[in-house]
Amino acid sequence: MYNDKNSQKIVDYIQNWTRKHSIWVLAYGTGCGAIEIPPTMTSRYDSERLGIRGAATPRQADVLLITGYLTVKTLKRVIRVYEQMQDPKYVIGFGSCTINGGMYFDSYNTIKVLDKYLPVDVYINGCMPRPEAVIDGFVKLQKRIGEGRATGAKHYKENLEWYRANQKKIIPNWVMPEYNW
Amino acid sequence: MELFINILGAIVTFLVAFIVGMTYGGLNRKITARVQNRKGPPFYQNFIDAFKLSSKETAIHHGIMHYLGPAFLMVSSVMTLLIVPVFTNNGWFPNLNFKGDLIFLIYIMTFGPLGMALGSGQTGNPNAAIGVTRGLSQMVGFEIPWVMALIALMIQYHTTSIEGLMEAQAQTGTWFMFSSPFAFIAAILAMFGMFRYSPFDIVSAPTELASGPASENGGKYLFVMMSSGSVFTFAKLTLYVDLFLGGAANLPVLLLKTFALYLIPILYGMTTPRYRTEQAIRWFWGWPSFFGLLAIIQAVIL
Amino acid sequence: MATLYLIFIIFLGGAILTYYAGKLGSVLQDIIFLATILGATSLFYAGVHINDFMSFNPGGITLTWGINYFGWLFSLIVLGLGSLAAVYSVGYMKGKKRRGYFYFNFILSIMAMLGILVSQDLISFFIFWEIMTWSSYLMVIYNGKDDQKLGLKYFIFSAIGAYAMLMAIVMVHSVTNTFLIGNMIEAYPQMSLSWQIWIPILFLTAFGVKAAMMPLHVWAPGAYSSSPMAYTSVFSGALSKMGIYGMVIILVTMISHLPQGIWFRETLAWLGGLTAALGTLWAIKQDDAKKLLAYSSIAQLGYIITGVAIGTELGLLAGLFLAVMHALFKGTLFMVVGAIEKQTGTTNFTEVTGLIRKMPWTFFSALLAIIALAGIPPLGGFVGKWMLYEALITSNHYLLVILIFFASTAAFLYCYKFLFGFFMGQEEKEWEHVKEAPATMVVPMVLMALFMAVLGSWPGIILNPINNGLVDLGFVSTYKHLWDTSILFNSWGNQVVLKPLLYSVVAIFVFFAIVLIWKGFKGTRYVSTKDISSSGEVPGENENLTFSLGFAQPFLRAVGPVMKRQIDRYYTEFADGLESFFEFLRRIYTGNGQTYAIYVFVFVVIVLLFKDVLF
Repeated sequence: MYNDKNSQKIVDYIQNWTRKHSIWVLAYGTGCGAIEIPPTMTSRYDSERLGIRGAATPRQADVLLITGYLTVKTLKRVIRVYEQMQDPKYVIGFGSCTINGGMYFDSYNTIKVLDKYLPVDVYINGCMPRPEAVIDGFVKLQKRIGEGRATGAKHYKENLEWYRANQKKIIPNWVMPEYNW
Repeated sequence: MELFINILGAIVTFLVAFIVGMTYGGLNRKITARVQNRKGPPFYQNFIDAFKLSSKETAIHHGIMHYLGPAFLMVSSVMTLLIVPVFTNNGWFPNLNFKGDLIFLIYIMTFGPLGMALGSGQTGNPNAAIGVTRGLSQMVGFEIPWVMALIALMIQYHTTSIEGLMEAQAQTGTWFMFSSPFAFIAAILAMFGMFRYSPFDIVSAPTELASGPASENGGKYLFVMMSSGSVFTFAKLTLYVDLFLGGAANLPVLLLKTFALYLIPILYGMTTPRYRTEQAIRWFWGWPSFFGLLAIIQAVIL
Repeated sequence: MATLYLIFIIFLGGAILTYYAGKLGSVLQDIIFLATILGATSLFYAGVHINDFMSFNPGGITLTWGINYFGWLFSLIVLGLGSLAAVYSVGYMKGKKRRGYFYFNFILSIMAMLGILVSQDLISFFIFWEIMTWSSYLMVIYNGKDDQKLGLKYFIFSAIGAYAMLMAIVMVHSVTNTFLIGNMIEAYPQMSLSWQIWIPILFLTAFGVKAAMMPLHVWAPGAYSSSPMAYTSVFSGALSKMGIYGMVIILVTMISHLPQGIWFRETLAWLGGLTAALGTLWAIKQDDAKKLLAYSSIAQLGYIITGVAIGTELGLLAGLFLAVMHALFKGTLFMVVGAIEKQTGTTNFTEVTGLIRKMPWTFFSALLAIIALAGIPPLGGFVGKWMLYEALITSNHYLLVILIFFASTAAFLYCYKFLFGFFMGQEEKEWEHVKEAPATMVVPMVLMALFMAVLGSWPGIILNPINNGLVDLGFVSTYKHLWDTSILFNSWGNQVVLKPLLYSVVAIFVFFAIVLIWKGFKGTRYVSTKDISSSGEVPGENENLTFSLGFAQPFLRAVGPVMKRQIDRYYTEFADGLESFFEFLRRIYTGNGQTYAIYVFVFVVIVLLFKDVLF
């Protein structure tokens, strides 16, 4: 009979290796940072050599890229999109606005700390980060996936009430269905 | 006992088709990247994508037809693969190809997209339905020159089985590519529609239509769809090699010939924009059908 | 044969009894109705022997009745579909008005069709033909005054056909002095050439109207949509086959002995191909399910006419097999539409949608019927289509094969539209209350669907009677043409074994279905159709995400130029022209006595002046 723990380690290693080298990013530009995505994906700073590709719908995507500031209006849709994605999924906070509000730190309409509403795995700071910085961020995400530490989705499921409370506090007209995993 | 060996042969053929088809997909991305002056993913990238999709932990479905949609697609691809003779002297893997018949093949090739259409219809996503109608309309387009080419071959050599056509090529000594050139041209032009690369890729337009029929499929469903796509690619290319390029006696020759054929839609598609559906249908009824008519006339006269 | 008398008496008596039993109670009416049809059917199959003719002499004209193999084949369609449709109508007509009227005409139609099949002489053929016409006309106007114009169109076309047939019958009688069909066939080669051309044309007009061949098809969409759906399954399934029955007899026994007959057959084959192609295109355009199925019937009958008109054994085999399959799947589809109409009240695709979870058995029968219609293996429609293609290729009709193939591929579009429009797509709130149709309606549908699946693997069940029928018509039965249940020989001698192919299809499908369902079972959950990837929005309750309007718009734009003219418009313009001409002629009646006196005077003068020329 096979040894459970060892074979589990091998299976985990292979799974993480494949997830590391094939990352599908949802084609959704939430803020002004999305202007840096096309240069990253095209010929000069080719991100396809790392296996990063665009995906059309949340059902097919792995990574949700929050590019730049996030208004309250967009946050409602982003939460819906995030919950429609399938496990394992990751969130990358792109730009300084996701860390501490960035340029819009005193706006009435944007959120200041992304981590309170969605579990973020990797931050890429800059305003906006150049394609080299973007690729650096993806490489960091790959390393985290490879070590098995990119567990934002599990964290979200376990602390759903805390995240929901934060989301409902800031979004006035809440119409989302309640999920029961 | 014989049944067991047949099933084993079928499984081996399926694995070969899977591996070769996925590799061709990866090579497609690599060649596209090189043409666009960048490096591109490694040639085994499609395998990594497939395994990542199959190891997704959660999955959603919209009902029983949605479940079964990718299964229909797979049935069509695998049946096509089993009917098409892979090698000229099928010593090891006879599969079902001595029962091959071109009319059955035409219908089995349309079975897959229809099953997928039923599956994605149940999702309730209007994008899926729009993509499906576009796909079916385009199919009406490219089937006409394809059937014309096949009928020309059937008339000229008085047989409807693929084995019979391969034997005719072996007997006369020339490939059909040279002795029925119009049929070959019509079939190649129809091939563009079958592979659904540019300029006929409006069916699964990623951002215009949220990828059409596949818009609600993720995880293992998308894995089955991708694998069926690669198996089907291999089966179609082998069919063309058998019909027009004289078949292949062993694996390296087969790979060489299929890759040479595969380069045609890739290299053409890289440089063209997309046709709208009605433009695509009318184009197929234009020059390709004209060559098909010439092929039939040639078959009747000669 | 006394059994035949008994059968017709049961039919007639049952019809009259059912009509009057409505006053006693609806359950009694249902029981008498079912007893009539089922009783007559079982009596027919138990008691009537083939090739056993009887004749009797009312009023100096000899009428001969009896059934031969060829008619027995069609009787399978008529009585089989008729019995299942009768069971279905009991459920369909529950709670509707004028049930006695419906049952009366239903029984009379079935009786008339059986009569057509057993008549061996032309007078009884004509009598039963006319009974069939007016009983179906009464059904077309079942819904009252609004549909009178459609009924009138149907009646006029049928009448034109029937009078043409009557003219032909009289012509035949003047040559042969009897009315027997067998004598007509024997005397045909000795007739003068112009009569040899005219008699088939007159007959084919009558049969072409019933078989909805272009350009005589314009009554079909209106008539099929306005009669109640329980009857339309019989109307489109069995009644149109009477036209095919007549066509086959004329074509095979009479025209094929004529050297110039080849022109007839080519014209008919091309007309059949055009009917198939144009009918398919018009079917794609429709938004109402009844009209879509009506145009689809026209297209399928085009296939059958093409197969029959080619004249080779394989062509006839293909055409007749497709005729049986068409009765099965069209009957099922019209029953499905009737079930949906009963449960939801509408049959328009743009109004009702998303019924797959609410009416699963209806969906199952519709799915199998559509797969058979599209001709996809492993169901029976594929066998018929395969034979048709082989027949066309081996008899050198290459361009016709392309046309038929185009029609088959375009048929996928309206097949998908039918399934998607009713059963899939978004589930809207207003149809939450819909439940499955009652059992009397569901059971016939499912039975017919299962029989279609059986025919796909064992086509020999139907091919054997067809072979016997063809032998009756004068073909030679050799092993090459006897298709066994599991081995098919195509005409070039290659052997194709269908059973392993079909089993592999099923095996692969089951394997991958299990893969999809089993792997990761615990992580899979069901989401409703409102949870779709619609750009992050949650669809509100009143938001309409149903895609049904403009369904095949790109395709229709591509074939736009072909569909610009309608044959219906030519007929309407001709009729309007005739009406205005008659309006003009009406002015003779001025109502003025002096004008009439002038008419009489002028007439007398002309007769006196030209009396040498006229007399």
